[in-house]
Amino acid sequence: MTTQSLPVKPTLVKPRLRGWKALLNHQTFRRLVQLSFAGFILFTVVRHVVIGEGSGIVTASAEAYCPFGGLESLYKYITTGGSFVPHTHLSNLVLLVAVLVTAFLARSAFCGWICPLGFIQDLISNFSALLRKRFPRLRKAMRSLNARASRLAFLDRYLRLLKYGVLLWAVIGAGVYGVMVFRDYDPWSALINIAEFSFTAGLVVLGVTLVASFFVERPWCRYACPLGAASGLLGKFSPMYLKRESDACKVCKVCTTACPMGLQVHTATTIKSADCIGCLECVGACPRPGALEVKFGIPVIGQK
Amino acid sequence: MRIKPTIFGAFVLLIYFGTVFGFQAAGVWSVSGKVDRSGRAVLPSADDVESIKGWMTLEQVVTAYNIPLAELLVHFGLPADTPPSSPINTLENETFSVDGLRTWLEVRTQSGSSDTSPQVNATPTAVLTPTPTAMSAQAEATPLPTEHVAPDRVVNAKTTFQNLLDWGVPVEVIESIIGGTLPPGGMVVKDYVTGKDLEFAPIKTALQVEVDKTK
Repeated sequence: MTTQSLPVKPTLVKPRLRGWKALLNHQTFRRLVQLSFAGFILFTVVRHVVIGEGSGIVTASAEAYCPFGGLESLYKYITTGGSFVPHTHLSNLVLLVAVLVTAFLARSAFCGWICPLGFIQDLISNFSALLRKRFPRLRKAMRSLNARASRLAFLDRYLRLLKYGVLLWAVIGAGVYGVMVFRDYDPWSALINIAEFSFTAGLVVLGVTLVASFFVERPWCRYACPLGAASGLLGKFSPMYLKRESDACKVCKVCTTACPMGLQVHTATTIKSADCIGCLECVGACPRPGALEVKFGIPVIGQK
Repeated sequence: MRIKPTIFGAFVLLIYFGTVFGFQAAGVWSVSGKVDRSGRAVLPSADDVESIKGWMTLEQVVTAYNIPLAELLVHFGLPADTPPSSPINTLENETFSVDGLRTWLEVRTQSGSSDTSPQVNATPTAVLTPTPTAMSAQAEATPLPTEHVAPDRVVNAKTTFQNLLDWGVPVEVIESIIGGTLPPGGMVVKDYVTGKDLEFAPIKTALQVEVDKTK
């Protein structure tokens, strides 16, 4: 009896790097960028609190570095010929333009690579993952909780629409009333003004977001972030996209598990979702070379 | 065309910070309302009371409007030893607010002189604590400018008692609505009402009715 063995395919698994070489990848680069920007914002907040408003030296508030403030002030800036809603400055408008240009060329990569609030949620989610890894009982409890919560998974797609509502409310409200109606509910504003010790709805939203980050990755970005909503919509016209090669992909779902935005990467051919934040966690996690790649193509017609 | 993930990251940073630095290089950048695009301090303009911001100091305001500090302090019942370097938003109390200061300066500018108060050159010698009686006396003693009429007779959050008087609402009617003696004319009605822990909405409505009667 002869046995006929199947032709052996060349190895299709990425070589696993060890030691410091394992750190030389785009994810380390991304984390360093996020850390640097979060550090800059922390420095700005501390300097503003320490030096204070009454000093002769002008210290910028961290709110001056929020792109969404630019979006809220845009209507007033245009209609009044250059004035801003309170707490916003020219820097907010410039940062808004930078975010929109980035979105237009590289989707919502601002959210995945720069946004400090996204970074904080990432840190908490990673800490949660570390705890689950170290404590089997916690892992089991979380798995059980996830199994129960999976019954509510159908709500996910509807809840994701919430951020577009928040976007409309914040922009129209600022246009009509001339003040940032969203500011009192904004977790980012609550965080950078935490030294004021004022109990606002934004502080509650921040608390909910941080606690939810233990269970769901990037909950604020998925469901409520108005800047992410605006960026995602504009990103639809971006030439950048992710491509999954069906021939190379073994549908191991590692990419879907790695996606912090909960996108079903393993079932898509091209990933052009408005929710994609361009973090490339999926690309980094994919064990097969060439199965998942960043591509450049003409929007709408050239992205197949 | 395939793009390496690291190149993608570098591209994102290049676009984002390139845009920001581009605007900065063009002079289109300001992180504070306290400095202009060229980094110079923003100062109040004597032509526009709206240019007065809460973080500005008393000294900046009196210099821009060329008025004695003592006059301002007496008019609003502020302590005589108030440092000129005090930001005006830190001095807000029942009788003094940024809006009230704006209104007073606007009235004063439009009347073309500093005779809106008899205490023009008075030098405060002690800490003045305004009492209802004193406020009433001041209101009665102060010749009320009649030239200044607000463009629309609508009671809102910025309306001062002076506006109400200019619109022809009698002092007694105002006093009966607010339930007290008339405060200084430059005081904003809303500030006075909220300072007394009262609801502004019903008082605003009652005042609007009286304003409408005078039309």
